[in-house]
Amino acid sequence: MTHANSERVCLDPRFAPPFPQVAEQMLRNPQLRKNVGHAIDVIQTKRGKLVVEKTDWQELRSAASAIRAHALDNLGVYLEEFEARCTAAGGHVHWAADAADARQIILGLLREENATEVIKIKTMTSAEIQLNPFLQAAGVNVYETDLAEIILQLGEGEPSHIVVPALHINRSQVREIFARTMGLNNLSDDPKELTNAARTYLRQKFLTVPTAISGANFLVAETGTVAIVESEGNGRMCLTLPRAMISLVGIEKVLPRFQDLEVMLQLLARSATGERMNPYTSLWSGVTPGDGPQRFHVVLLDNGRSSILAKNKERQTLKCIRCAACMNTCPVYRQTGGHAYGSVYPGPIGAILTPQLMQMKHAQSLPYASSLCGACYEVCPVKINIPEVLLELRSQVVNQERKQAGRFFDLMYLGLRIANLIFATAWGFHAAQRMGRIGLRFFTRKDGWIHSLPSLGAKWTQTRDLRGLPKQTFHQWWAERAKEGK
Amino acid sequence: MNQPVPSRKLILDRIRAATSSAAQSASQLAEAYAALPRAYIRHGSLSAQACIELMIQRLREYDAEVVECAPEELADTLAAQLAASGRHRFVAPSGAPPEWLVTSAHPIKGLEWTIDRGLAIDEIEKAEGIVTAATCGIADSGTIVLHHSSREGRRVLTLLPDYYLCILRASQIVETLPEYFSRCQQPPALATYISGPSATADIEMTRIKGVHGPRILVVILVRDDANK
Repeated sequence: MTHANSERVCLDPRFAPPFPQVAEQMLRNPQLRKNVGHAIDVIQTKRGKLVVEKTDWQELRSAASAIRAHALDNLGVYLEEFEARCTAAGGHVHWAADAADARQIILGLLREENATEVIKIKTMTSAEIQLNPFLQAAGVNVYETDLAEIILQLGEGEPSHIVVPALHINRSQVREIFARTMGLNNLSDDPKELTNAARTYLRQKFLTVPTAISGANFLVAETGTVAIVESEGNGRMCLTLPRAMISLVGIEKVLPRFQDLEVMLQLLARSATGERMNPYTSLWSGVTPGDGPQRFHVVLLDNGRSSILAKNKERQTLKCIRCAACMNTCPVYRQTGGHAYGSVYPGPIGAILTPQLMQMKHAQSLPYASSLCGACYEVCPVKINIPEVLLELRSQVVNQERKQAGRFFDLMYLGLRIANLIFATAWGFHAAQRMGRIGLRFFTRKDGWIHSLPSLGAKWTQTRDLRGLPKQTFHQWWAERAKEGK
Repeated sequence: MNQPVPSRKLILDRIRAATSSAAQSASQLAEAYAALPRAYIRHGSLSAQACIELMIQRLREYDAEVVECAPEELADTLAAQLAASGRHRFVAPSGAPPEWLVTSAHPIKGLEWTIDRGLAIDEIEKAEGIVTAATCGIADSGTIVLHHSSREGRRVLTLLPDYYLCILRASQIVETLPEYFSRCQQPPALATYISGPSATADIEMTRIKGVHGPRILVVILVRDDANK
């Protein structure tokens, strides 16, 4: 089966099944694992070479981490400064408290433009607020312009990575999608030919659609500058050809000064795609007469970010510059791909960001979607200590469960309460060991291993085998040895 | 049309409540900013010649064509490049110096220059090539920096035509990105950094050149540093 979307994927944390459940489905999909593994190998090899040649990599990381932390510590001042500079340069700044607020503001702006069509530069923030389905339902046709996003939009698929969102789809799957939706029956699966098909498909859109939506990689408070980094040129098309432009940006994206870009830009491309610099970086502030859109709006999105800011250990989550180095290096992401995370933000950063952006009850399994190996922290260009935040969130999950009334019907909770009693006394423990040895004998195979257990025990055996209990405990062996020695 | 005031106030109030450690005054903020660690490399260590060679090497790695010439040879070199391109309809930015447009040494049959004085998009789209100057070259990453002055043109000029010829002077080349930023005392209102031609790796990480921007990049490197 080469069809890219044989199974519908849900990336809305409110409705997505828990991580282990989707992860198991993904692990049974060899094509997907092969596609993800290949893409990640390529990025990792390129990144590795370019990080090694950068002799001041650690110094850059330290500077970037400090700049981002400083910007967050003083976020209010820097956002107001950005607003003042952007407005002075002819831009309009809007503030959206949550996703619904942002969607309404954007729709209102599109209505002012009488827009029936809009072209888009890839933006995770718009996926976060589920902008496309909302605009479609309101009668605005949305055209994604990043190649990967087109593949997903035409194939009705969901992103599985924040930098290369279609890395789970291979060339023959792309061919199938393009041939079907563009009516190109003679298309081959040569990536060059596929890319050309997308170029032709989009050219007319770029030249005719008068309104565009983007995200942003950085905002600069000092100058009111918005920065977008990209590779294809679709971003530059959207930034220069339309009459009106709307940038949807999370409030955390602000940098204090223009010069801070010298740190961020050196880290971002190397971390994200393994390039010394991405092919195109665009910087602009407000509106420039005679060049590009003459009406420019920035929508600053909170949507849960200010509550992350309020927490000590979790605040560092907001330093993220969305390079995806953490998912590229993560042993869990490598096996499951992005869809298992049930969010537009997958991988280690998604595992900490999603539960915080949403109510925790919608993403309780995500803080556990990690082996805590720490590889994500090591590669993070802004030094987010992801394992530390994961542990903090795990403790919150447990504390939350501890207070729930339904806990007395939860086998796990009751089991742990019983274990608590058993471990409290030596005789209780010895009795439990004897009972266990007798009970487990029925499940232990001839090879000495337990391959499957019923009920709660299955939580262990569904992913690994368990060694059968030995015939005697260490204590018994010690006592016998002492007796014989006499 | 403006956003309802409550959202702005709501968000800023939430932020203020969340950041009790924020600087209390402008001077405190400036002090905290100045204290941020910046131990990374600001200035390169290469000689001027080695720096230019690195720039050329990086550009060639991106499959850009690089031609060097002395300042007085620019017009001839440009004409030769345009003739070799096999293209005829070129656009020049509004501030293009007259010497670019003179092609007497290599008269090219059918060569047609259009100066951008507010050209419509479809006129730019019809052009086969564009010639511009640049603001800076960054050797470490092979980056061409445009601040879109009248010699560098509007942003769209260097985007739609398939062939882009950039005239970069050796004296504009720096080794590191921070050196460029320290030259930028007055941050530009518009800037584009170009590091190789438009590309994608979205299909199986196979790098494909020329998705939307120019597929061909030619750099004429004017050695205005020769007398130093």
